[in-house]
Amino acid sequence: MLIEKALQQITLSARCQTQAPRLDARVQLITVLAYIIVVLSVPMADPARLLWLFCFPIVMSEAAGIGYASLLLRSLWVLPLIALVGAFNPILDHTVMWQIGTFTVTRGWMTFFSLILRGLLAYQAMLLLVDGYGFYDICRCLQWMRCPSVLVTQLLMLYRYIGVLLRETLSMHRARQARGFGRKHYPLSMYGTFAGQLLLRSVQRARRVHQAMVARGFEGVYHFRPFVQRPRAHDYAYLAGWIAVFVLIRFVTLRLPFGV
Amino acid sequence: MHMADALISPPVAIAAGAVSLTLIFAASHQIKRNQRSDLTPMMGVLGAFVFAAQMINFTIPGTGSSGHIIGGILLAAVLGPWAAFLTLSSVLIVQCLIFADGGLMALGCNILNMAAASTLVAWPLVYKPIINGHKHTPVRVTVASVLACVVGLELGALLVSVETVASGITALPFVSFLSVMLPIHLVIGACEGVATAAILVFILKNSPSMLDNAPVYDASAKIKHHRRLTLIIISSVTVVLAVAFTWIASEHPDGLEWSIAKLTGATELAPATTPITAVMPEYESYFAGIIGALIVMALLWSLSALIFRRKHAKC
Repeated sequence: MLIEKALQQITLSARCQTQAPRLDARVQLITVLAYIIVVLSVPMADPARLLWLFCFPIVMSEAAGIGYASLLLRSLWVLPLIALVGAFNPILDHTVMWQIGTFTVTRGWMTFFSLILRGLLAYQAMLLLVDGYGFYDICRCLQWMRCPSVLVTQLLMLYRYIGVLLRETLSMHRARQARGFGRKHYPLSMYGTFAGQLLLRSVQRARRVHQAMVARGFEGVYHFRPFVQRPRAHDYAYLAGWIAVFVLIRFVTLRLPFGV
Repeated sequence: MHMADALISPPVAIAAGAVSLTLIFAASHQIKRNQRSDLTPMMGVLGAFVFAAQMINFTIPGTGSSGHIIGGILLAAVLGPWAAFLTLSSVLIVQCLIFADGGLMALGCNILNMAAASTLVAWPLVYKPIINGHKHTPVRVTVASVLACVVGLELGALLVSVETVASGITALPFVSFLSVMLPIHLVIGACEGVATAAILVFILKNSPSMLDNAPVYDASAKIKHHRRLTLIIISSVTVVLAVAFTWIASEHPDGLEWSIAKLTGATELAPATTPITAVMPEYESYFAGIIGALIVMALLWSLSALIFRRKHAKC
């Protein structure tokens, strides 16, 4: 069931503070952004370079105690969407890239393979960030990066109420299912009533929340625990080290000494 | 319609991100000026509502398949366009970070395609003129919703096609890509419109004040401010797009490659190690590169697992 899965995901994300070395969240955010930019800047017909970039998720997932196998499994589900868009490449681009005997690999297949790798790498980096620091710390980083306070407050409010409203939707859905004689979807007339009821309940809840917040002195902006400490030497070393690795992989053609 | 990171190039991601960020700043500014203190919790809870409503599927008559709402027009009808834009943007950010719909770099594109297209273009240009100055009636609300959703989704599909083709990801020509994207989104838009109308008609019958009291930012706002804001948005869009398309279209190396070329005479540095004994000399370097990278990554995985798992076991 979609709602239950979403609820499970929200609960998981709220809990996940991995055993990652407690680096400064800002440093990790910058590292991940730099990594994704490098991944996306690799030419489409150069999948080998993308393979080298797997070093970041492999090392960091193991260091965080998540395990790369688990990270890889969780990231596999992005493949269908990417494959759908890239599916035309092997069909339309027949430029021969290399040949082993009668086996020919075209540019279309190379770009398709690159697309799959890019999707996996970018998603795995994002999972590492969210798993390691949680949503609250990411919002703190956004505020530190001078994102509008309205947006950051909205993100926290939204994150807080997704679980509540998903539970409410689930209970309404179950009540309807019990009377629905096995029908999975809603006919349009019933859908309007169901979603409209949910909307009215949501608005009533928002009004109650607003009264409670005003009673506790809310003035429109959420105040975060500030970053009191500047990033330390090992944070800078971590950032510099990884950026050096990314630049090396992006601009130097790496080859093993024995020819492969 | 969520775009993944893999489907865009850095220049397109940066261009779309800059435009989205400008719009987010503009929306925050408008909301702060509005000074409705209940807007913050309302936006939070209604964002969560959109999230929950996307999990409920309705039957599409005559097809046997099902669909769900995206919520842009619905939010704009209840909250007004700027608050709706910010709410939908926050939904997209949470979907990206928690549910991995889309990606960090594609976030700007997704905000433009899904939030801005429906709340800042389709709502003011289609929904509002149909409703404006007239009494809300079920027929009027239905017509306005369906048309606005269709326009919003078609515009979103157009933007997806432009961004994907500009990124050079697909070998499909632009016109062919459009001919795949637009018809399917016409159908999706119509279904989304009917579902949105069904909810709005229910609200109209049960709590009409919700639709009447939606904050509308229109000509009453200061013209000077609007002119400045429009100028900022248009100029930033133009500059960013110009830079992005120059980068894409240019056959010359980019900044970093240019610097390397100046230093070394080539746009790429020499291989780190020179092959000593070529195991597969007859094959092209692509294949050798792939095999080499796979070997190293497998070794790295084993080594990391060995080191860190032992360390975690000790903790």
